[in-house]
Amino acid sequence: MVDVNAWLNDLLAGNKIFTPATMAHYWEGLVTTTQLVFVSLIIGLVLAVPLAIMRSSKRKWISLPVYAYTYVFRGTPLLIQLYIIYYGVVFFDGIQESFLWPIFREAFYPALIAFTLNTAAYTTEIFRGAIKATSKGEIEAARAYGMSESLLMRRIVIPSAFRRALPAYGNEVIFMLHASAIASVVTLMDLTGAARYVYSRFYTPFEPFLFVALIYLCLTFAILFFFRFLEKRLLAHLPSQSA
Amino acid sequence: MADTPTPLEVRNIKKRFGDTEVLKGLSLQAQKGDVITLIGASGSGKSTFLRCMNLLEQPDDGELFVHGERIAFKYTKHGREPQDWKQVVRMRAKLSMVFQSFNLWAHMTLLENIIEAPVHVLGKSKREATEHAMSLLERVGLTHRAKAYPAQMSGGQQQRGAIARALAMDPEVMLFDEPTSALDPELVGDVLKVMRDLANEGRTMIVVTHEMSFARDVSSKVVYLHQGLVEEAGTPEEVLGNPQSPRLKQFLAPKY
Repeated sequence: MVDVNAWLNDLLAGNKIFTPATMAHYWEGLVTTTQLVFVSLIIGLVLAVPLAIMRSSKRKWISLPVYAYTYVFRGTPLLIQLYIIYYGVVFFDGIQESFLWPIFREAFYPALIAFTLNTAAYTTEIFRGAIKATSKGEIEAARAYGMSESLLMRRIVIPSAFRRALPAYGNEVIFMLHASAIASVVTLMDLTGAARYVYSRFYTPFEPFLFVALIYLCLTFAILFFFRFLEKRLLAHLPSQSA
Repeated sequence: MADTPTPLEVRNIKKRFGDTEVLKGLSLQAQKGDVITLIGASGSGKSTFLRCMNLLEQPDDGELFVHGERIAFKYTKHGREPQDWKQVVRMRAKLSMVFQSFNLWAHMTLLENIIEAPVHVLGKSKREATEHAMSLLERVGLTHRAKAYPAQMSGGQQQRGAIARALAMDPEVMLFDEPTSALDPELVGDVLKVMRDLANEGRTMIVVTHEMSFARDVSSKVVYLHQGLVEEAGTPEEVLGNPQSPRLKQFLAPKY
């Protein structure tokens, strides 16, 4: 009979990688990743709603600048955007003397700005597609019932577009979580950064990277279930969902 | 009757799409309690005419009066437009439209659909609007579907729900745009019955329809349109019982 307890004790006693010290690194990394992704998604979402409305405007001088913005940010790698913002910010005259410097000196805020601008661009396009897909008949009915253009937007177009955009937006959230791994290249101690640190200390690639991969996987599933729950509640009116 | 303003009057409405002139000068007056049916072949302009009445289509020429109030137009580089969109919004709230494809708002339950415009356009309290909506749902026989989404209802139920939504506005005039054309034959009867009841209680209605029995039995006036012009107009007995023009005779002839 194998003594499971003794075997486990042996295993942990010989283990130098999963110690309280490295665990603290991973924890710090998890907090940083969560903050970075969560805050950039929230701000990105708040920016994307008015931008998507502007992008759907018939007036070219309103829609074109937004199109240019989403085109650039969706058309270039996030890593390049991060490099430009992180390394480029120093070159603004006087920034090192200004009150902004303590903020920009750290890697977190440039990364946050890059991620926010990137997700806002993608989310804008997701919303624009959903707004464009609003049923013409429903819009006409709203007009026929005396709704002004702003009321129509607020009560009919946005709520129905929001629901239609939900599955695609869920993908964007997962995409952002995974993209956040590149924050570690600008010295940020996110989950990936923590894994890289542990790897370089012990020169063991499998333990740290598989461990954080597992954490990313758990986060992804949590996001997935959250959106599945939202879709169940908010998309009850769509025939394909209730079937 | 004489001192109450005419609910809806349109004069000399013209509309063109590109090179084709769809409406070539149409006039119509709906007095209180009138049920006017517009009939005609497809492409005769009857739906476009109806949509010009609440300015879902902008007529290129002609005048509109809602409850005696004249709608003002101006000319821009895009063509003719209403001068004051607030006036249009106000006037549309007095006319409610029932569409061929129902056009209920898909993300709202039936009850939410019905109280939406009364609450957010007319400024009624939610409670008052809900009470009114529930009584209207009872009238159209849909009390049990109040919490259902449009996609969960049959076409006939959706259209009766759309009629309840129209009634919730307490409209001066109800505009029906081929309300039974998208329905399965066995569902048409329920919708027509609701419309008959409305006509009998003195609602002012303008109905674009292919249902000749409805036109014959219910309407106070029948207008036959042909290629954007009124070919014949009068009581159902005159127009349907004793058609004058060969085209109308052919239109009414049994098709089998």
